[in-house]
Amino acid sequence: MANKGWDEFEIGAMLRTFDGSIDDIAGTSQEDRSYSENSSYTASVADWRLIKPVFNKDYCIDCQFCWIYCPDVSIISRDKKLIGVDMDHCKGCGICVEVCPTNPKSLLMYDEHDDEETVIANWPKKDEEEA
Amino acid sequence: MSEMKKIKNLKEFSTSADRFEGANLLCPGCAHSIIVREVLNATNDDLVLSASTGCLEVCTSVYPYTSWDASWIHIGFENGSTAVAGAEAMHKALKNKGRLKQPDRNPKFVSFAGDGASYDIGFQWISGCMERGHNMMHVVLDNEVYANTGGQRSSSTPIGSSATTSPAGRVSYGEKRNKKDMLSIMAAHHIPYAAQVAPNKWKDMVKKIQKGFAVDGPVFINAVSPCTTEWKFDPKDTMMLTDLATDSLVFPLYEIIDGRELNITYRPKNVVPVEEYLAAQGRFKHLFKDEYKYLIKEWQERVDENWAYLNRREEARV
Amino acid sequence: MAFDKMELRDIEVWDGNFAAAQALRQCQIDVVAAYPITPSTPIVEGYAKFLADNYVEGEFVMVESEHAAMSGCIGAAAAGGRVATATSSQGFALMVETLYQASGMRLPIVLNVVNRALAAPLNVNGDHSDMYLGRDSGWIQFDAYCPQDAYDLNFIAFKVSEDHDVRLPAMVHQDGFMTSHTAQGVHTLTDDAAYGFVGVYKPMNDMLDFEHPVTHGVQTEEDWHFEHKARQHNDLMTKVFPKIEKAFEDFEKLSGRKYNMVEKYDMDDADVAVICMGTSVETAREVALEMRAKGIKAGVVGIRVIRPFPFFAIQDALKDVKSIATLDRSAPGGTVGMLFNEMAGAMYNLETRPMLSGKIYGLGGRDLTKAHLVDLFTELQANVDTGKITTPLQQFIGVRGPKLSFL
Repeated sequence: MANKGWDEFEIGAMLRTFDGSIDDIAGTSQEDRSYSENSSYTASVADWRLIKPVFNKDYCIDCQFCWIYCPDVSIISRDKKLIGVDMDHCKGCGICVEVCPTNPKSLLMYDEHDDEETVIANWPKKDEEEA
Repeated sequence: MSEMKKIKNLKEFSTSADRFEGANLLCPGCAHSIIVREVLNATNDDLVLSASTGCLEVCTSVYPYTSWDASWIHIGFENGSTAVAGAEAMHKALKNKGRLKQPDRNPKFVSFAGDGASYDIGFQWISGCMERGHNMMHVVLDNEVYANTGGQRSSSTPIGSSATTSPAGRVSYGEKRNKKDMLSIMAAHHIPYAAQVAPNKWKDMVKKIQKGFAVDGPVFINAVSPCTTEWKFDPKDTMMLTDLATDSLVFPLYEIIDGRELNITYRPKNVVPVEEYLAAQGRFKHLFKDEYKYLIKEWQERVDENWAYLNRREEARV
Repeated sequence: MAFDKMELRDIEVWDGNFAAAQALRQCQIDVVAAYPITPSTPIVEGYAKFLADNYVEGEFVMVESEHAAMSGCIGAAAAGGRVATATSSQGFALMVETLYQASGMRLPIVLNVVNRALAAPLNVNGDHSDMYLGRDSGWIQFDAYCPQDAYDLNFIAFKVSEDHDVRLPAMVHQDGFMTSHTAQGVHTLTDDAAYGFVGVYKPMNDMLDFEHPVTHGVQTEEDWHFEHKARQHNDLMTKVFPKIEKAFEDFEKLSGRKYNMVEKYDMDDADVAVICMGTSVETAREVALEMRAKGIKAGVVGIRVIRPFPFFAIQDALKDVKSIATLDRSAPGGTVGMLFNEMAGAMYNLETRPMLSGKIYGLGGRDLTKAHLVDLFTELQANVDTGKITTPLQQFIGVRGPKLSFL
């Protein structure tokens, strides 16, 4: 949102999350909501990251630990299935990787610039010691 | 009264549509947002929220962005709780006068505040809200310091912790005072429900939040919120730290009903030594010097004593 | 309608506090969050009794401090309904931070301030030091000189404050004890007429509208703060006076009583004039009439709307006066009084400037007597006769001890 003049925004110390009205927020997925330009949902913190999580659905058991422990609402889960990571909102904290229970993990941290397809093709094998 | 949202297991819980957004300014790995998400997702009812000045408030409402998908108010540092109480009173008034825009909804009124805002500067305000019986929930995001301003001590800062206004130094081991038992103080208002929660034990937490939403009257929740920046650990280890906090019994999980009945709600299968909890955090690293090791021993004794006390209360049903 | 109306007599004998409480009753407040403090306490006590006797509905939240009172009012106002409270002095001082928060958040709230001195030393009596403390808080501020004003101005305050083009909180000041605890015959409005004048509350950006969630109380740093405060100031400077004028007009049609930004008494040809607020206005007016009888062309200007400051109305009222004295009822703290400064600011750029001096009077409830004012008008006439100010610029009236004057 460009820096507007004093006469170009609504009064008060106030912001609106949505454009227009929204009937059942708790029953509407984020992708179906009409966020305004003032919702941080429309912003990105991708440039915070130095490392990023890569999701490998081959090993994922949809346990949802990463979904619940992600501080940034960046693990996208729909109908109880892990879809992926919201790379606009992920800050690269690494919690998802730490809480992932599978062996090998279904999420691992890689350098921000690594190519995901390559990384997934070279995914580490099961750790026999841990297993 | 609307029906409680059914949350049998984590898979079912994961179908919640979050009403808290990312791309906020909280540190990577911040436990505040994990706690907020669990609280907001515990209900499908409408929400009227507040936050007192602090990390959560600042990082989610810097113009021109808001991270809140429900009505939310910040007034100042002391008065987040009273802000929500005022909104709750208005809801009651408009309901009686037939002027609610959506009269069939049952909004939940929740105020979030840090330990500094709750235990110190906002103490009187919260006490007033609890005493007056507003139908609201106050959730403390307890990271044991004034984190947003760089980590100054609050009355929640535990002994031996190095905070910037009680720093460890050549002749000091940091904070000298023990942590204020805020939960007991709030429970002494005889509110219907008070509880200590931790975001790692999500089921315990969500159950308690739902219990809090179900009772009629004020609810006080103290949530441990390990702070990667001020407790000094790697952001990826937030849940590991929370596990250590609950499993060492430094943060026991229990509830107090009507101020007179205490139930312990989590008994770790394997209790972890307090030393492990302290060792995982930079703010305690000076305690591992020879001259301060006795404090670690005292820490363990205090935690053991507190656990024994909680067990006695539970047994005696008080 | 689940509550009972009151049948008021055309004239009721009410003190300023009870008059304000009755006005609040007639406005049908939704939430009152309040804390007792002398001398404003009877306002909230009166309101509580109305509630207990079913003359009013709504929630009455007896909070644990004045800061909590205004905080609760802000939360309730943001939720979306009609909100009011009352306080004085120390309580006002305690809630000062929330006053700035309320106005910055553009929330309509009506605050009755029963003006009382600020400690230390502790004092429960009337002076304007609390009023002066809040002058930069961004609130619309009215001044009542008597119980009638305290009653009427509450209706004006709600009407202007809640207007969607204004959305700024408003204070109604009245002198502690001198107005608040002094009874007068107050001309009343019927319950229906009063409520009809303020109207049903129309919500805006209300938190309780769940289909349009709003975030209230954002943070703005160096990239946005100035624009927000500029907007607030712009609205105070350009939007409020027209609304107040309209409200005064409409109120005159309803009641026959006309209020003005600046109340002028015998100012058309005045050579000397006194500017003041509160109960002093009526005393000054009486003395001015007596001075007229003695051949001194005396006038009085009472400030009715303190904020926004009626800059041009003041200029207009005073520009042809030869010698003016401001009466400030607050401890000046090392400088001239606020009214002195504000008059000076308004008149500095005029082609011909009146002679300006000031008095500090009435602190902590010390009486301002007619004799004091006779001396004052006599002094001002002496200034006119000699063509220069014959006294120090700042004099204390009515204090025991050697004559106290400065500048």
